[in-house]
Amino acid sequence: MADAAPARRQAVTVDQPGAAHLALLVIACGLATYLWRGLGVLLSGRVAANGEFFNWAACVAYAMIGGLTTRILLMPTGSLAETPLWARLVGCAIALAAYFLLGRNLLLGIAVGFLALVGALLLG
Amino acid sequence: MQAVRESVGVPSAVLAAGYLGFGALANGTGFPLWAALLSTASIFALPGQLAMLEMSLSGTLVTAIVITVGLTAARFLPMAVTLMPMMRSGQAGSRQPSWRLYAAAQLLAMTGWAACMRRFPDLAPPLRLAWFSGFALTNWIVCLAATLAGYGLAESLPPLVRQGLVFVGPLYFLLILTGETRTRQGIVALACGAVIGPAVHLAAPQWSVMIGGLLGGTLAWLMLRPRGAKR
Repeated sequence: MADAAPARRQAVTVDQPGAAHLALLVIACGLATYLWRGLGVLLSGRVAANGEFFNWAACVAYAMIGGLTTRILLMPTGSLAETPLWARLVGCAIALAAYFLLGRNLLLGIAVGFLALVGALLLG
Repeated sequence: MQAVRESVGVPSAVLAAGYLGFGALANGTGFPLWAALLSTASIFALPGQLAMLEMSLSGTLVTAIVITVGLTAARFLPMAVTLMPMMRSGQAGSRQPSWRLYAAAQLLAMTGWAACMRRFPDLAPPLRLAWFSGFALTNWIVCLAATLAGYGLAESLPPLVRQGLVFVGPLYFLLILTGETRTRQGIVALACGAVIGPAVHLAAPQWSVMIGGLLGGTLAWLMLRPRGAKR
């Protein structure tokens, strides 16, 4: 019983640092992103853009995005986690088919994928 | 003004679709709206924002999140290195002050870079920085609006449509990555990451984006290096 009051006070004080913490995190991520943009301006014209380091960096960037995308589609968190795996896979397959068959139209592919997932969820 | 007109249309609509998904995803996972908007304004790179969102939800260390987001943005370095010399005007007397290039760099993203690479050869060098700024600033505003709209829509829509909207985020990358990756290196790196990323996630969820990217990317780089050396 004696612990209840301090615990509640703590919960109240934790709330604000939570928001400040999140703001700091987002801004730090923004700075980390800008680092590459700014460094690119600094280096532009001084180094060749096709060196091995850039090749490696590009590979890592592609692998990260590729890994993240498949991970979200296969093992999502949040509200997408409530949808069955087969529905997401059907949505992806139909979206890819529409995209490639209809002249690589990104908007059309996305719209078809959206409808395919909603349709699959309705039917399932 | 010309650039603004060219930006509104397909490039902005595609970006908007991605950021609608991001906004909806942020809402669906309980991420606050102001933080989602701040991330669009300050990071302005969807893969990094998705990584940040996912990692902060799984309770990853702040340092690890910042490093991962930083690493997913590494692609901006070669983009900036190739784009910036085109925006410095030819004559020494009329060179743009460099702070303008540093400011423009914040707006650099894949869409704007690709558009500039297509458009710049026909554009006189002194006009290019203004063209880029108009194009990219329009994109930036559209992305903020789409984040807000996605977040708001996710709240008021039925769960089914909301899930569909959240699905748009990863779907956008699936299509753009499979369809628009032209280099052999990019394709191999994507495939390696697509296999290794989820596999690492099963073992170490908090580090999967970073470790998966480093492992998959390095593997792809090593696989293609001898071929590159031979040429």
